[in-house]
Amino acid sequence: MPEIYPVGMAELRIARDPDILAAYGIGSCVIVAMYDPKSRIGGMAHIMLPDSTGISQERLNPRKFADTAVPLLYQTLSHAGCFKTSLIAKVIGGAEMFPPNEDLKNNIGSMNTAAAVKALEKLSIPIAAQDIGGRAGRSLELKLDSGKIHLTVLGESAKEL
Amino acid sequence: MQDISELRKDQLDALREVGNIGSGNACTALAQFLNRKIDMNVPQAKILPLNEMSTLIGGPEEMVIGIFLKVMGNISGRFLLLIPETTGVKLMQTLIPGSTVMKAAAMNDLEVSCMREVGNILAGAFLNALSVLTRTPMLNSLPSMAFDMAGALIDSVIADMAAVSDHVLMIETSFIESDENLKIHIFLMPDINSLGHLLDQLGVK
Repeated sequence: MPEIYPVGMAELRIARDPDILAAYGIGSCVIVAMYDPKSRIGGMAHIMLPDSTGISQERLNPRKFADTAVPLLYQTLSHAGCFKTSLIAKVIGGAEMFPPNEDLKNNIGSMNTAAAVKALEKLSIPIAAQDIGGRAGRSLELKLDSGKIHLTVLGESAKEL
Repeated sequence: MQDISELRKDQLDALREVGNIGSGNACTALAQFLNRKIDMNVPQAKILPLNEMSTLIGGPEEMVIGIFLKVMGNISGRFLLLIPETTGVKLMQTLIPGSTVMKAAAMNDLEVSCMREVGNILAGAFLNALSVLTRTPMLNSLPSMAFDMAGALIDSVIADMAAVSDHVLMIETSFIESDENLKIHIFLMPDINSLGHLLDQLGVK
């Protein structure tokens, strides 16, 4: 039986076939999933914020920021025996949950997505699929036997990425 | 203070008293507004790990109505109401004559506006009491409303408060109406930058 490991906010986790990594109730956060189809090892970072610039080293949780979590996920997977050249990434989340008004201008979701994409480009990891933006929360499961992501969004039918 | 996890017990007690006074006022406002008797749970001031906030209301995938306001001034932060769908529907049916809404996903503009106004009234009442207590003028933003998974609503609200800490400070309470089981969760999350001033005004710096 595959185990399901939830990955909460500011957490990062890797696992291998046949297990499953999951993230539930994602709003402005962005999930970066990486998967190596050869070793069938993959991982997930549940990123809250785009940029760690200005955060002092001793207070920095690198799993929280796109610019630090993406390289950390890559390193963790490399150490676990992934083939770097066959790694693919999927990017999910980055919604704007609350409609903006005169006083509230939320764009943290799109900033998170942009920063995650930039960090992946820097590592030259191709983005195989994405489901980003919009106004609805998401839940997803990454199946490490296939690398497929099962995604559910309020008001939409479930999809595979 | 560097991190909210360094708050002392007497400071948390003072913050709980803020919750008491603020939610007492908000509870009265809600009771008058609905013309019903509303009970209030004992407020809590808690320092919670980031992922535990949604467990307070049934898990990250629990569908709820969220009403979010920013608090501005020398004491700043976030004010969030989380309302189960059944309560939201009852509130709308009570407050809007002729409303036939049965599902939060099917709310019309008037119903959305009504829920935002509920947020405005509760936040206003809460913050007025806090403003008097701390002799600090406080303003709240216009409210914004969404209906979705609790985890998704919460992460959007706490993301930028979480930059330097893996914990959030929240003053939390819930209102319950005795016979019809209305339930509203109120969260006030002060910004760490304004905590010094808040604690100073409460006499527990």
